[in-house]
Amino acid sequence: MSDINPQTAWQPFEPSKQQPWTTQRAAHLLRRCGFGGTIAEISQAKNAGPTKSVAQLFQSTDDSKIEKEMLQAGRLVTGGVDSNALASWWLLRMIKTPSPFLEKMTLFWHGHFATGGEKVKDSRAMFRQNQLLRKYALAKFEPFVKNISRDVAMLIYLDSEENRKTRPNENYARELMELFCLGVGNYTETDIKEVARCFTGCEIRKNAFAFNEYQHDNKMKTVFGETGNFDSTAAIEIVLKQKAAPLFIAKKLIRYFVFDDQPISNQLAQPIADSLRKNHFEIGPAVRQILSSKLFYSEHSIGKKIKSPVELAIGFLRFFEASTNINQLSQQLVSLGQLPLYPPNVKGWPGGRKWINASTILARANLIAGILKNPKTKYRDGNLEEWVQSHSQFQSDSLQWAEDYLFAVPLSAETKSAFQQTNPSNREPERILSWLSALPEFQLC
Amino acid sequence: MNNRRNFLKQSLAGSAVISLSGAVPDFLLGTSRKIVKKNDDKILVVVQMSGGNDGLNTVVPYGDDEYYRNRFTLAIGKSNVLKVNDHIGFHPGLTGFDRLMNERKMSIVQGVGYPNPNRSHFESMDLWHTAHQTSSDGWLGRSVETSLASENLPAIHFGSGLQPLALKTSNKPVPSIRSIDNFRLNVLRDEKVKKQLAAVIKAPRKTDNALLGYVHESATVALETSLRLQDFGDKQNGEFKYPQSNLGKNLSTIAQLIESGLSTRIYYTTLDGFDTHSNQGESHRSLLSDLGNSVEAFMKQIEAQGNLDRVVLFSFSEFGRRVRENASRGTDHGTAAPVFLFGSKLKQPVVGEHPSLQDLEQGDLKFQIDYRSVYCDLLTNWMEIDPRPVVGKNFQTPGLFD
Repeated sequence: MSDINPQTAWQPFEPSKQQPWTTQRAAHLLRRCGFGGTIAEISQAKNAGPTKSVAQLFQSTDDSKIEKEMLQAGRLVTGGVDSNALASWWLLRMIKTPSPFLEKMTLFWHGHFATGGEKVKDSRAMFRQNQLLRKYALAKFEPFVKNISRDVAMLIYLDSEENRKTRPNENYARELMELFCLGVGNYTETDIKEVARCFTGCEIRKNAFAFNEYQHDNKMKTVFGETGNFDSTAAIEIVLKQKAAPLFIAKKLIRYFVFDDQPISNQLAQPIADSLRKNHFEIGPAVRQILSSKLFYSEHSIGKKIKSPVELAIGFLRFFEASTNINQLSQQLVSLGQLPLYPPNVKGWPGGRKWINASTILARANLIAGILKNPKTKYRDGNLEEWVQSHSQFQSDSLQWAEDYLFAVPLSAETKSAFQQTNPSNREPERILSWLSALPEFQLC
Repeated sequence: MNNRRNFLKQSLAGSAVISLSGAVPDFLLGTSRKIVKKNDDKILVVVQMSGGNDGLNTVVPYGDDEYYRNRFTLAIGKSNVLKVNDHIGFHPGLTGFDRLMNERKMSIVQGVGYPNPNRSHFESMDLWHTAHQTSSDGWLGRSVETSLASENLPAIHFGSGLQPLALKTSNKPVPSIRSIDNFRLNVLRDEKVKKQLAAVIKAPRKTDNALLGYVHESATVALETSLRLQDFGDKQNGEFKYPQSNLGKNLSTIAQLIESGLSTRIYYTTLDGFDTHSNQGESHRSLLSDLGNSVEAFMKQIEAQGNLDRVVLFSFSEFGRRVRENASRGTDHGTAAPVFLFGSKLKQPVVGEHPSLQDLEQGDLKFQIDYRSVYCDLLTNWMEIDPRPVVGKNFQTPGLFD
């Protein structure tokens, strides 16, 4: 495999004889920018080509019907202390939405501005935050950070709801710089103490953000060498002016979309950081550049991520246009290590190899087998046998079919021959699919 | 004295063999015999307190007025402290620790930390996990690979979610297990097809995709470990009063696996929630009482098994908290804090001096004992593992063991 060249990595991918636009590449795009396509969607992307397929992601689709339904459903499931029902609500939205890209971005920001329902203990606040993440998912980062800093769920989660001038609480100031904007090593302990002073006076009153001027430290602060009587808004602006900020976000986006294992040097991330800077820290254009790039469609990227548990489950269901018992699904996701709205801590889900351990690898296979076994699972309103009957390629060669559409990496000859030895019968699609989805290859994306 | 223990071992070893000897091929039987061999090797159980435990409110320096000046709302009153000596005592939630201390089954190691403290949870935890080494594996992972590689199942992590970096190896991954009952491949009804599938999952891959290699290796370890543990199950023992908590459940399972004679040398589990920036009082109390009661029940069970002389439990956190409390009745990230050891071979109840509450560095305690010297002591004098490849060099040990 050739080394990654940072000079050319982000140039637009143009199909050529050596690097044609294949079903495999179309399926790759749909797996990464959403939760994987249906066969029809993959074929459509294959016919449309990369430029058009990516452009489509950024066109607004008419979501108004589902938006309205989801809003109503969201109100119905919230109000209580725990956010489990809301997590199911979100999974349902991921399955049903005509804009999976938007949900994928929302999930990215949920991991970035990680907030956990077990501490917030207010599902309505979690719901509002979820809507906020969606609203700003592809928008400008600065207003996003300002809004998230006043978000009730976040205020509770990082103890910012009661920040008094006498002895400021440092939790939010630290995570703002360490995890949200700059990354470790790009600020000092003094910066943390000073930014914490800027954030004094933040409170929650009547379930909303409130500024208590009597608790705000009205003296001069020095943040990153700038001195003034700064408040939280000014502090965020100074933090985001730092060179490290766009680079930090660029690296995180690259990690999310491109590959798990490769190190991301400053040099490699700089063009994406420049694109953020040039576009006033707007997220959409940077993501578009990533999804259109040579690197994204190269062997460095295809099959070089591990599916997150949500990607695994939602991807499987979307592929078969399936619906299943969603509460059961969300509880099973706990044993795979990712229940939305319950990240492990403020750093979110680390992803990559950390998704996989002895427990989760078994739980993954069991989860898919469980969906397949469940009589409540419906495949485009019918059963699985009916579904496969309408897909002639599955009938003729289920293995080739699976390699084309379901797997991001090829299966070895040994695996294929072992599969044939099990005497797979097209009459038993459940058996075939639970067999295939238990393979290590199925975990890759 | 050891009759009960030997009896249990023999009967468990026997039952494992009997239940496997029917339909199971010989090669499996061989491994299962090996993992329930009679065993006197030393065992280390690690309980990680995640989030940064407030050391000052865990082992309270009640003899120091400076403590009361800094902890205006959170201080534990002199009369409530469970006294260890004239200067320090336990948080009242730690009755479990208090009893173990009275039975001389625990050591407090004071002021443990490292130079140039990092106050980020993740960075500081990574330092503890890697022992300040630049390689990407953990200190226990390295111990496994350098000294315990010949064991069948050298280490197990019990818990949900992420595996601690401390256990990361470069080659064969350490298994993480949520619960033994759910730890099996529950796919396909036909046992023959299921066996074929397991064989295919385990079959070596010719691939240059390192990620696939890693998933494949993890799946192989999972299937092998699952087969080995299938006979044990999650049998909770009501005789020992474990709290109804994840920690209680995990420690109870670990005690049971130790009793069964499993050759595993390192067990690891976690108690999360110590990041107490606001309204610390009640949440800290419930965490400590979970910790104290779980550890006490565990030590009682280990003792009843006759395994007290071969098990040490070690508990630590990534950092302590700032001396002065904040305005939200909580504490922010700090530095040095005590660590705890439990067992019958410990030399002293209290190791080292409590760090000064006046001679501070940026409002934080100065560490007295480098955590790597604690690791060295555990490795050298307990596990009998060469510490040099694990922590880089030989640190002078604080003399934890008899």
